[in-house]
Amino acid sequence: MDAIFYDVMVIVSLSVMTLGIVGILRMPDIYTKLHGASKSVFLGIVLLSMSATVVATEAMIYRIILIALLVVMTTPISSHVIGAAAYRMQERMETPGAVDETHTLLPDSEEPDEPTWRL
Amino acid sequence: MHDVVFYIALLWLVVLFCVCVVMVAKAKSGLVRVLSLDTLTLVLVALLIVYSVTTETSYYLDAALVLALISFIGVIAAARYHSERRLF
Repeated sequence: MDAIFYDVMVIVSLSVMTLGIVGILRMPDIYTKLHGASKSVFLGIVLLSMSATVVATEAMIYRIILIALLVVMTTPISSHVIGAAAYRMQERMETPGAVDETHTLLPDSEEPDEPTWRL
Repeated sequence: MHDVVFYIALLWLVVLFCVCVVMVAKAKSGLVRVLSLDTLTLVLVALLIVYSVTTETSYYLDAALVLALISFIGVIAAARYHSERRLF
């Protein structure tokens, strides 16, 4: 029964990761590509490791939990750093209907000033 | 874990890995490349977890842990270097 549960969960989490990678491939700019990487692939890995604790031996359960905790802590930080670096590099928003309240990153806005803040 | 599902999962993850390698090679900007490298490392971590849980060898999990850590540091360093042109 546990093995069947693990089989189903592996297939589900691999589907979620595939959706995330399709999102990275299809989204038009870096700000929307971050959605696929920081939500779908990340949550697929967390689901995979959570379901792996059902069938794993005791020596492996703690390591799997440690991996899951590490990924949960580090993925939001790295996504934030990539997003902030893209904003600082003045990467344009290619998405239709994108809203930028500073009016500097949209494709039809004028040439932006040099950023004053540092990452 | 049943053998059929194990081989399907391994094949699936290898396909995802190859797609990530192509994304890294063909990325248009540097930050998309950094993002794709992060995704590639997560796919590799998933591959190691599936393989080690099925074959019941716990050594691969240590490799997955170290890989996740190094990926985090690498992404932060690369994104910072890309935007600041220096590390510190």
